[in-house]
Amino acid sequence: MRLLLTTILILMFAAIGEQFCPWWIIAVVSFIFGFITDLQKGRAFLAGFFGIGIFWLIAALCRDIANHHILSQKMAVIFHLPHYSLFILVTVLIGAIVGGLSALSGIMLRKVL
Amino acid sequence: MRLIATIFVIAISSGFIYILANPANPLPALGPFLDPVNGCWVSAEPVNKDFSEHIKLPTLQGPVSVWFDERLVPHVHAANDHDLYFVQGYIHAYFRLWQMDMETRAAAGRISEVIGDKTLQFDRLQRRKGMVYAAENSLNAAEAEPHTKLMLDAYTAGINEYISSMSYKNLPLEYKLIGFKPEPWNNTKSMLLLKYMADDLTGYTEDIPLTILRDALSPQDFNFLFPEKISGSTPVIPAGTGFDKPSLTSPLVPNDSVWTHFSASDYATKRTEGTGSNNWAISGTRTQSGATILCNDPHLGLNLPSLWYEMQLQTPDMNVYGVSLPGAPGVVIGFNDSISWGFTNNYRDVKDFYLIKPVAGNANAYWFSGKQIKYTDRVERIVIKNKTDFVDTVHYTIQGPVMYDERFHGPGNLKAPLAMCWMAHKATNELLSLYGLNRAKNYNGFVDAILNFQCPAQNMVYADRGGNIAMWGQGQFVNKWKEQGRFVMNGADSAALWKDYIPMRENPHALNPAQGFVSSANQSVTDSSYPYYYNGYFYEFRAWRINSVLSSLQHATINDMFSLQNDTYSILAANTLPLMLAYLSPADMNAEGKKYLEELKKWDHHLSSESIAATAFQVWWSKLYEDTWRDDFQNIPVSLWPSDERTMQLMQTDTGSKFFNNWNTSSIEHLRDIVLLSYAETLDSMAKLEKEGNAQWYKAKNTTITHLAKLPAFSYPGLKIGGWGNTINAAKSDHGPSWRMVVQMGKEIEAYGVYPGGQSGNPGSKYYADYLQNWVDGKYNKLQFFPNKDEPEKENVKYTWNIGTK
Repeated sequence: MRLLLTTILILMFAAIGEQFCPWWIIAVVSFIFGFITDLQKGRAFLAGFFGIGIFWLIAALCRDIANHHILSQKMAVIFHLPHYSLFILVTVLIGAIVGGLSALSGIMLRKVL
Repeated sequence: MRLIATIFVIAISSGFIYILANPANPLPALGPFLDPVNGCWVSAEPVNKDFSEHIKLPTLQGPVSVWFDERLVPHVHAANDHDLYFVQGYIHAYFRLWQMDMETRAAAGRISEVIGDKTLQFDRLQRRKGMVYAAENSLNAAEAEPHTKLMLDAYTAGINEYISSMSYKNLPLEYKLIGFKPEPWNNTKSMLLLKYMADDLTGYTEDIPLTILRDALSPQDFNFLFPEKISGSTPVIPAGTGFDKPSLTSPLVPNDSVWTHFSASDYATKRTEGTGSNNWAISGTRTQSGATILCNDPHLGLNLPSLWYEMQLQTPDMNVYGVSLPGAPGVVIGFNDSISWGFTNNYRDVKDFYLIKPVAGNANAYWFSGKQIKYTDRVERIVIKNKTDFVDTVHYTIQGPVMYDERFHGPGNLKAPLAMCWMAHKATNELLSLYGLNRAKNYNGFVDAILNFQCPAQNMVYADRGGNIAMWGQGQFVNKWKEQGRFVMNGADSAALWKDYIPMRENPHALNPAQGFVSSANQSVTDSSYPYYYNGYFYEFRAWRINSVLSSLQHATINDMFSLQNDTYSILAANTLPLMLAYLSPADMNAEGKKYLEELKKWDHHLSSESIAATAFQVWWSKLYEDTWRDDFQNIPVSLWPSDERTMQLMQTDTGSKFFNNWNTSSIEHLRDIVLLSYAETLDSMAKLEKEGNAQWYKAKNTTITHLAKLPAFSYPGLKIGGWGNTINAAKSDHGPSWRMVVQMGKEIEAYGVYPGGQSGNPGSKYYADYLQNWVDGKYNKLQFFPNKDEPEKENVKYTWNIGTK
C-alpha cells in the first residue's frame, strides 16, 4: 500500500515539477521520496521506476496518439529501431531507470545517515 | 559495507544521469531529448491541432489578422507595411526558424560552429567567396533606402519577438537533435539569405576550366565544340525582337597579354547538367479564356523544410500572393490583384576571375597596372564546435577577394592566386525590387520594380489582367569587350577590369511579341542582333520543347499548362535515338540486346517514371557521350566536355567526324562504332539495374527530397516521378521544380501551385510534407486569393490569429 502511494506521489510531483523544471527534476523528486518514505530498498526502486515510468508512458502516449505516430516513426528510424512503439519503450525505460535509481539512492542514503 | 554499497549506488545513479545529460555524438543528450514533457516529443504535433490563437505583440502599430486556410497558408491582413513585415517575420520564425538559421549560417560559412570540423572546408569556401562581404555591401544599400530599411527592420523585429518567447521546450526538433539554440536575428542574415540564392544561381566558376580547355585545344576545335551560341537556339527574347540603339560602344579588345595560362592536374569536378528553370506567359489571343496565363517552375535543390513558404500579404495598397523565402521579407514569385511574375535563371556570366601577380618578397602586395598595391585583408574567424577557432586571412584586390591561393587551393589543386569579381559583391538592393513587384499595378510598375534587380540576373516573365505579357533578361551587366571574362584574365592588366555598367533599361526585353507568347528555360538570352557582348552557360533542350508546344497551342487552358509543366518528353532522345537505332541490327544480337531494341523502338521518348526504355536510353546516351569524348579529352575533366546539345548536333550533321574516331586505335572509327560499343555497355548496365530491381526510370534516378541536415529519417527518397534536367519536368536526383505555379490573370484570378514539401518545418507535423504527393503526381493545389477586405472569406479560413497590441 505504501509502495502504491509512493509511486503515485512520485508520479504526481514529477509531473508537476516538469512544468517548471528541466527533465532532471524526475531524479530529484524520486530521490526525495526515496529518502522520506521508509520503504525497503527493492520497493523504493520500484516506486521510482514505476512512478516515473508510468508518468513518461502516459505523457508520451498522449502525444504519440494525437500525432498519429508521425514523429515516433521518424525518431525510430533515427535511433535504428524497427517500430515506433520501441521508441516509446526506450523513452519510458530511460525515465523509469532514472526514477528507480534515484529513489534507491534516496533510501540508501537515509539508511546510512 | 552498507556505506560502500550506498556510495556505489549513488555513483551509478549520478553517472547514469550525467551520461543522459550530455550529448554523445551523433546522439543528442538523451535525458532532455527523450523527456516527453519538454523534449523531442513536444514536436509530435497533434494532427487536429487548433492553430487559432490570440497573440499579443505590443510593438505593432495596430491589430493584424492572419487567416490560415486548410493547407495552413497564412493570409496576413495588416494596416501598414511595418505591421505586415513584422508579422511575416513572426510567422516565418514560427514555422521555419531552424531552416532560416541553418541557411543563413551556411551562407555565412558558420556551419562548423554547430556541426563541428567536418564542415570546415565548406565554411572556408563561403568565406573565400566573400559571402558576408557581399551581404554587408547589400545591407548598406538596403538600409540607405527607406522602404527596404523599414521592411528589414520590421521583419527582423518580428522574428526576434518570436525567438525571445521560446524556451528549450518549444525549440524546433532539429535544435534539440543537433544541440544548439537560435541566436537573435538581424538584417544581415536576411541579406545573407539573398546572397545564398545569388551564389546558387550565379556562383559557377567555369572561367577556370574554360581557360584550361582553350589551351588544350586548337582554336578551330575549341570554337567548333564550344560555340558561344548554339545554332538553332530559340532565345529568351524572341528572335527578331528589335533592340534599342545601345548608348555605350563596345570597348576595344585588349591584346593577348590580357589572358592567362595555367593547367590543373587533378581536376575532379563532376559534370552538372541542365540546372535551371522554366517560365512562360501566353497572351489572351492564344488562350481559351481570352485572359493571359503565366507559368513558372524554378528548379532548385530539393530539400525539406522546403525553400519556399506560401503566403498572401495584404495592406491597404497591396494584395499579393505567392511564395516567400523564410528569412527574407516579401513575396518572391507570385501575383497580385493586377499583375503576375516569375523567374528563371538568366545565366549571363556575372562572375569573372583574375590571376593575381604577387609582389615577390612582399606577402602583402600585388602588381596592378605597373604599380605595387597593398591587399585589403579580411580576417575570417571560423568557430568550430569542440575545437579551437580557425583563422583565415582573405586578401582583397581591386577586383575582389582572392578566392584561391597557396592556402586554399582551387579546382584541380590550383595554387595560383585567383581573385574574383562578382556582381553579387556589389551594393545591390534586390529587396526593393520585390517591394515594387508586390505592389506593381501594370507593366510600367513592373519595369520600375525590376530595374532594381541586379544580381542574380533573371529572366523575368510578366502577365497582367490588362492582357499584356512580357519578358525581360534582367540584371546588372557590364559593357564587356568581346570575350571579356569568358576566361581567367590577367589581374595586373587594367584593361581586364569591369568598366561601365550597361543601363538597365537597355536590357533585352519583349512586350507583347507577335508570336503571342514568351518563354524562358535558361537558353541563350537573345539572337545575335543584341548589341552588347555577353557569354554564359546556356541550355537549350527545355526551351526547344516549350517553344514547340507553345507555338502549337491555339486555345491554351490551365490544364494544358499543368501537362506542359509536367512534360517529360526528351528532345535529346527524339533527335538522337532514331540515329542510334539505325545502326543496330537484331541479327547480330543476343536475346537481351533484342529485347531492349524492341523496347526502345516502341518508346515514345517520354522519360516517364515507370519506363524501362527511358532508363535504357539515358544509360545509352551517357555511355555514347563518354565513348565519343573520352579519347579526345584525355586528362580533361568530364565537366568540361562539349554539351549534350553540341554532341547531338554533331551526330546529326557529321557521322564521320574526327571526334567519333578513337585515337587509341589504329583503325578509323565512325559514329556507328561508338553506337555499337555503347549499346553493348548499356546492356551490361541494364542487366545490373534489372538485377537490383532498379531498371524503372524513377528507381534508376532516385529523386529524393533531402532534409537540410541530411537525416534520412526526415527525407523522402525514391519518389515516383519522371523527367530529367533536359525535360520540362526537370526532376533530377536532388534538384528539380521547387515551385510549380500557373496563374490565369482574368477578371477573376485563377491560380494553382505546388511545391515538394509543406508549410510546417516540423518533421513531426502533418503539414511537413503534405504537398509532396501532389507534386510527384503532377497535381496542383488551388491557391485561395482572398479579396483585400477586413472580413475574411469564412468558408476558406480554418484557423485565425487575432494579433493585438494588448
